[in-house]
Amino acid sequence: MKIGIPVLDELLGDVPRGKTVTYLIDPEVEGDVFPLQTLYENLENGNSCALIVSSMSPEIIKNRFREFGWDIEKDSFSIVDAYSAYVGASSEEKYFVKNPADLKELDRVITRAIEENDLIVFNSLSTIIDISGEDVIEFVNGWNKYAMLNDAVIVYGFTSWPYAQEVLEKIKELSNTVISVGGIHHRVVLGHYYGILKSDWKEVKNKAVLFKLLRPGGVRAYIPKILVTGPFNSGKTTFVHSISTKAVSVDRLGTTVALDHGHVDYKGFSIDIFGTPGQERFNPVLKILGGEALGVIVVVDSTKPEDFPRAKEMLAETTRFGLPYVIAANKQDIDGCLSPEEIKRKMNLPDDAVVVPMSARSKEGVYDVLDALLNLLIGG
Amino acid sequence: MLTGSLSINGKPSNLMIIGPPLVGKTILIRNMFFEKINEGFGGIFITTRSPAEEIADWLSSQGVDDFKIIDCVSKTTMQDLPDEPKIKRLSVMDLTGITVKVNELFKEYLKDEKKVVVAFDSLSTLLMYLNEQTVLRFLHVFSSRIRTTGAVAFYIVEEGMHDEKTIAALKQLFNGVLELKDENNQRFLRYMDTSVRIDWKEFEVQDNAIVVKT
Ligand SMILES: Nc1nc2c(ncn2[C@@H]2O[C@H](COP(=O)(O)OP(=O)(O)OP(=O)(O)O)[C@@H](O)[C@H]2O)c(=O)[nH]1
Ligand SMILES: [Mg+2]
Repeated sequence: MKIGIPVLDELLGDVPRGKTVTYLIDPEVEGDVFPLQTLYENLENGNSCALIVSSMSPEIIKNRFREFGWDIEKDSFSIVDAYSAYVGASSEEKYFVKNPADLKELDRVITRAIEENDLIVFNSLSTIIDISGEDVIEFVNGWNKYAMLNDAVIVYGFTSWPYAQEVLEKIKELSNTVISVGGIHHRVVLGHYYGILKSDWKEVKNKAVLFKLLRPGGVRAYIPKILVTGPFNSGKTTFVHSISTKAVSVDRLGTTVALDHGHVDYKGFSIDIFGTPGQERFNPVLKILGGEALGVIVVVDSTKPEDFPRAKEMLAETTRFGLPYVIAANKQDIDGCLSPEEIKRKMNLPDDAVVVPMSARSKEGVYDVLDALLNLLIGG
Repeated sequence: MLTGSLSINGKPSNLMIIGPPLVGKTILIRNMFFEKINEGFGGIFITTRSPAEEIADWLSSQGVDDFKIIDCVSKTTMQDLPDEPKIKRLSVMDLTGITVKVNELFKEYLKDEKKVVVAFDSLSTLLMYLNEQTVLRFLHVFSSRIRTTGAVAFYIVEEGMHDEKTIAALKQLFNGVLELKDENNQRFLRYMDTSVRIDWKEFEVQDNAIVVKT
């Protein structure tokens, strides 16, 4: 069987029969698509699939598939309706749980679904825990074992609300593979990513993949872009080259006349880096990068306080849309340069602004700058 | 008008409005919501009780336009109405759906450099469908998002429907509480947050608006 998610398919290979996969989903991210996409892929490949629905009506969840252009009108697809009874409605689904709060009954129906299908997908295991309490976890253990006996695969969607740590640990422990679907928070959720937390059938490296949801289409991976800006001659081009594994610039007479373009694979992220020309207005550039840019690095020459107003102006322009930023205090190798604190004060930056010292030329501190930005993006 | 006269304007990021049935909570929250939009905020109204269309009509009749409604009524009662430009529909059980949708709307408003006001009418419905722990976990995530985005949110809680423990836990999550009560056909409100405390004041409901007597 397949995961059916870009990049993960390559990393994990086929999902062996009898295994369980859990998507651990940030509550603020539209991650319910992941288990649905896994279901659809395997349904297309001729497997019989059952979807356990507990947080919305079967009709709504079918619309959800349609939203992504996935046709599920097949005899090999069925729904375990553990929702309708909860809001006092009847059900026309193949499997109907008449009292979703009664774990024994739920267990009976799910057991039957495991016997009769290749793949069992839980739309929201967390909702079942919310309704029936943490006792559900014991049943999860039972379902996983039963799936193993029946050569079936179970996929759980699990929203990581602030549950007790033991609950989350237990869920992870009971799954053969855990995939986390997280959000990049900065005032609002700017973007989202997924990565493999563990897998017991494949050795996996820590890797985070940013994704977008296409309608139709579903989960699509994309490469994040970081914008490097700053006043004329501050060291942007030098910085882009110093952190990139490959980079190109179009310089004329020592100044950049087009975008610097670099690429770096760092801490599991595959990142495109764009340096803007210092002289020109770059608002159009920002438009081109559009919603894809995830963060901004403003390079300033620590020996040129006269350029700070310009740096501030550029900062204001680029972070208008709520993008997180880091100030790279460049040329720290030059005697008499200003310290990060002095720069922060002279630029009149807010207390929580991050100013990181570096020397782009000697590469000292350049990764600290990248770390600081990634930390803002996914650290909290 | 109302919030102005109480001078609580914009202070708490998460304000709970609690009172017995029929005391005027719904009119109050609608007015507070309307006033913020009128000041230039973008509005997100989450309803689990009144039909979304009714709220939209009311707001339009007051002359404001910059709002979106998250309708948690129709889907919960198995009506299959389509989304509209101003109305997005979700089941109350779908808490993730709610946080995701609110975040999306936040992002749009922030792009326009707008502040955001959120009205939630009411938490009591959530507590009817889902257990207390679930709702608290949800509110924990939700109220911190309100704080970090610099938005303001008003939440209605029905008095008498929940036990003391639940109310106490809810109060912990919010940084302001507006209490309403009804005594001998007179209505009163009082307000409390970390820095301001306003004792019982009489108010009236007139033409769909709340007027505080001074
Ligand atoms: N001493 C010192 N010089 C640096 C450092 N980084 C860059 N420079 C020098 O500063 C000058 C400008 O560097 P660039 O990287 O071209 O600056 P830029 O910001 O791309 O310039 P424009 O594109 O013209 O705005 C070059 O002479 C660099 O060698 C540094 O860390 N220390
Ligand atoms: Mg350059």
